[in-house]
Amino acid sequence: MECDEVSRLLDAYVDGELDETTRPDVQKHLDGCPGCRMGAERIAAFSSLVRATLPLYKAPSELKAKIRASLREASAPESHWLFRIRRPLIYAAAIPVLSLVLATTLRTLAPNRNQELISQAITNHARSLMVDHLVDVSSSDRHTVGPWFNGKLDYSPPVADLAQEGYALVGGRIDMLDKRPVAAIVYRKGAQVINMFVWPVTNGKIDFDVQSDRGYHFCGWNQSGLNYLCISAATAEDIEKFEDEFRDHINL
Amino acid sequence: MGDERRQFDEIFVPHLDAAYNLARWIVQNDQDAQDVVQEAYIRALKGFHGFRGGNGRAWLLTIVRNAAYTWLNKHASDQKWVPYLEEKHAEIISIDQSANESRMEKRREDLHSALERLPPEFREVIILYEIEGLSYKEMALSLGVPVGTVMSRLSRARRRLREEFERAKTRRAANGM
Repeated sequence: MECDEVSRLLDAYVDGELDETTRPDVQKHLDGCPGCRMGAERIAAFSSLVRATLPLYKAPSELKAKIRASLREASAPESHWLFRIRRPLIYAAAIPVLSLVLATTLRTLAPNRNQELISQAITNHARSLMVDHLVDVSSSDRHTVGPWFNGKLDYSPPVADLAQEGYALVGGRIDMLDKRPVAAIVYRKGAQVINMFVWPVTNGKIDFDVQSDRGYHFCGWNQSGLNYLCISAATAEDIEKFEDEFRDHINL
Repeated sequence: MGDERRQFDEIFVPHLDAAYNLARWIVQNDQDAQDVVQEAYIRALKGFHGFRGGNGRAWLLTIVRNAAYTWLNKHASDQKWVPYLEEKHAEIISIDQSANESRMEKRREDLHSALERLPPEFREVIILYEIEGLSYKEMALSLGVPVGTVMSRLSRARRRLREEFERAKTRRAANGM
């Protein structure tokens, strides 16, 4: 690959959004080209600057009240009809949205419970990174991490060694989720931490496709009587692959 | 309040700030951004029975940006709509002219004015990617363009933003601030 081509792919490379076939070529070029490497570093640094610095607008307090009022009004049939006449473009604008919705999820379950678990998982994940309490047992050996949970939980969460697949085991801790203590098994993909919560399905099974919120990606599934919920700031592809690899490993 | 309405409130009301921020960055003024968000929420409520879980935030933001563009298209030829008015948009940042104005404040201000100078297509991808954390794929769905377009648009947007940011810093230095 030449510098020209690489420079067009550099943002996607930094964002972890390049596909598996292109990424190694870009990586190879960067290994041998200090100029492009510097370009990648500059993109990453500027992206962090924007995230940390860009001023955000907060919704004015009156907007919430206005929205509630207009939602009530919108439920009335007359205004519904008027609205349709007055603002046909808004309706046209919704067509791509509706097709997006149709395309999104086949694997679904009560969105409420999923959303609630995801919010809790975000809080847990953020706290685990902030207060430097990522793991209670720190080891890359699954034969150390797995047995550590014995006696601390009334079930035995499976721990897989995914180092070959690019997911390094960091350790484990006990966390709270779904109103009970759960196993949190921690992996690392590059710089990104993956928290995987594992707990029995007694309060209901979870199963949903990779989704994202507030910059995090999640996936959830159940297997052999246990729920699994993963959260990370890694890319959607990384999380999807993690689920696949993990499921494969514990099926063996 | 029905179950569906309660569910709607639980899922979408927490995203009000994000919705307003996106609309505000696209249409660039408070009253119009409020109107856009209001219409977007009505649209979202009407389409809510079609929402099957998944990323509620991305779903809502898609409706917001579509409503914002409808607004932009409608007002593009209006005389009253001016893409950039410094005095009109300056209220977000408390400009502290004192000597001990922090470096962070200056950066915020420079970055704000830099983003203001970009076209809406660029402002939008910066907000959706850097602030809202949508993936390229989610942005492609939201914008209704191929992933390749998202890739090049975000790349150009960042480059332009960096250039404008450098220019803003230079202007500040030239003004001895």
